[in-house]
Amino acid sequence: MIGTASGTRSIAQGLADRISRNSLRLRLVSVFISFLVLFVVFSFTSRNFFNFQNLKVIAFNASLLTIVACAEAIVVITRNLDVSVGSIIGLAGYFVAKYATAFPHSGVMIIVVGVALGAVLGILNGLSVAYGGIPSIVATLGTLAIFRGITIIIGRGIEVPSGNLPRWMIKGADLEILNVPFVIILAFVVVLILAFLLANMPIFRRAYAVGSNPGAAVFYGLRSNRVVLFAYTVCGALVGLAAFLYVSRVGTITVNLGRGWELTALAAVVIGGVSISGGSGNIVGVLLGALILSTIDNGLVLARAPEFWRMFIQGCAIVGAILLDATIERRIQTIFTRRRA
Amino acid sequence: MNGFARKFRWELFVAGMVILAGVWATFLSPYFLNAGQLLYASGNFIFTGILGFGLMAIIVTGEIDLSLPSTLAVCTVLLAKFSMFSLPLWLAVPFIFVVGAILGAINGFLVARIRLPALAVTLGTMGAYRGFAFIIGSEVGYTGFNDTYLWLGAGTIGKTQIPIQLAVFVLAAAVFVVLMHFSTFGRRCFAVGNNMRAVEYSGINVVRVKMAAYVIGGLTAALGAWIFIGQYGSARGDNANGVILGVITSVVLGGVDINGGSGTIVGVILSIIFLWTLRSGMGLANITGEVQELIIGVLLIASILISNLSRLRLAYGKRQKGKSKVVDLGRDV
Repeated sequence: MIGTASGTRSIAQGLADRISRNSLRLRLVSVFISFLVLFVVFSFTSRNFFNFQNLKVIAFNASLLTIVACAEAIVVITRNLDVSVGSIIGLAGYFVAKYATAFPHSGVMIIVVGVALGAVLGILNGLSVAYGGIPSIVATLGTLAIFRGITIIIGRGIEVPSGNLPRWMIKGADLEILNVPFVIILAFVVVLILAFLLANMPIFRRAYAVGSNPGAAVFYGLRSNRVVLFAYTVCGALVGLAAFLYVSRVGTITVNLGRGWELTALAAVVIGGVSISGGSGNIVGVLLGALILSTIDNGLVLARAPEFWRMFIQGCAIVGAILLDATIERRIQTIFTRRRA
Repeated sequence: MNGFARKFRWELFVAGMVILAGVWATFLSPYFLNAGQLLYASGNFIFTGILGFGLMAIIVTGEIDLSLPSTLAVCTVLLAKFSMFSLPLWLAVPFIFVVGAILGAINGFLVARIRLPALAVTLGTMGAYRGFAFIIGSEVGYTGFNDTYLWLGAGTIGKTQIPIQLAVFVLAAAVFVVLMHFSTFGRRCFAVGNNMRAVEYSGINVVRVKMAAYVIGGLTAALGAWIFIGQYGSARGDNANGVILGVITSVVLGGVDINGGSGTIVGVILSIIFLWTLRSGMGLANITGEVQELIIGVLLIASILISNLSRLRLAYGKRQKGKSKVVDLGRDV
């Protein structure tokens, strides 16, 4: 592109082009920079922010969010949404707790149950979106209410006390390897595996194709509804895993477990540079998005700001990130059209 | 089937459902079918119903707004603030209408002018406006409203039992029938929802139509807020949290295509009445709120599934007869 640049084009134009062409990479860098800026700001506003103990707390809080946000990201990449993740956490989590109470010695089966139930709920979402032709937000808004309602029916409002859970679940949440909590390591492993799969596994590449241009994907011969169903299933399974971790961390399980997580997860996804109109974004960005949100949370708590500021900031961050992404997308499109001309 | 029945098939179906739900509720409790009870209980559906009208205008243009209940909450806490400083009502009410319009216009600007995806944007503003409502009103609820503020939502007409808010609902319904079905703006909304590109080429300002729909949505949220404080006598940042599911359901169940371009206000009114009858019935049957939400969620999904299936069959039947060779891939393949 630079080679073909005619002499008439000014240097400024060339620079602008170069920025635009690398804008996706720059987007990730900008997320990282804003993360650093947040760190510096909070280090100044509260003395207790920058120390190993607090950083561990931030990473610990971010680890669960990262898994849920990664799950959400897979769906968002296919140009769909899942606002029922909070309710999936609630239902899968409550069921896991009940199951662990009933069969305390079933070991790994407890995890399997959580993941499997999550996957089933994901399949329900996927079927209604991919095969029922219901717009994703309406379908998952419906299942948000349905899953929560089922949780309340089976739970009858009764909470499961932490004493009922097997000891290894409670202990596992506090387990530390070389001073690093196990949950953080697990989240990191999930991120690595997903990042690898998203870049290499054919069906995930198809998910990107379906998200970036659904019409073209169909004409190319992709069975897009299968891809979407797959995305929802993986999403559900991952959320089921997160639900298990959440249960072992919280201990006492109420029927309200995971309420409001959908907004936080979506915020992490969008802030992390996954385009809400599908087809672009990666898991590393999502990890950064989750870290940013958890840093803001932590910083606001340490600065003694009221809880609702978080809601406001989260909402604004979602809108701001979408705005930024749309600008980038338009820039890239202009370049492509100019190149063709 | 004659022309009328065919044209209003869905509306007739919903009307039948209303009657069924009414019969069910009557069987559940002898207290249901009683003029005083019906008039009194009608208060529960009015503010969500009015939000439904605003949302219908937006959905018809092919967009969506999830932030309407949050806008309502901003307006209720603002009314609380005004009441606290004992501002006269004639100053406070225009102000919240302006605020509602502005919040709607922000959504409209982002969606129509900058062309961001409506779902995601309004999901963001849903959180932002809700947070904003809390920032204005803090976490403490306010209950000491001046009586002048409450008359719209709490008063009755003269010495009758008819609540003023019911009259407001009927009035709003009439206004929306005219606005959506007998005005240029309404026709344009439907046209934009059907084929935005064609409307754009015919020289109509699509951005302005969509912006107007969002502003109307914001205005209904402000009106809803005014009714809300009368109905509940309190204001807090979490007002109307979670009602969006019911509002969307009332619009979609009323036969409005979620992808825009078709639907009638009469259908929306009928589905509002149906949902209210169903909820009252479930309340009489001691079904808790969360389980009611579950049933509403099932209804929402089922109503879209049914309409999708019938449309598919229609397209399939046409193709079989050879009337149309066009394969409809749909908007979102």
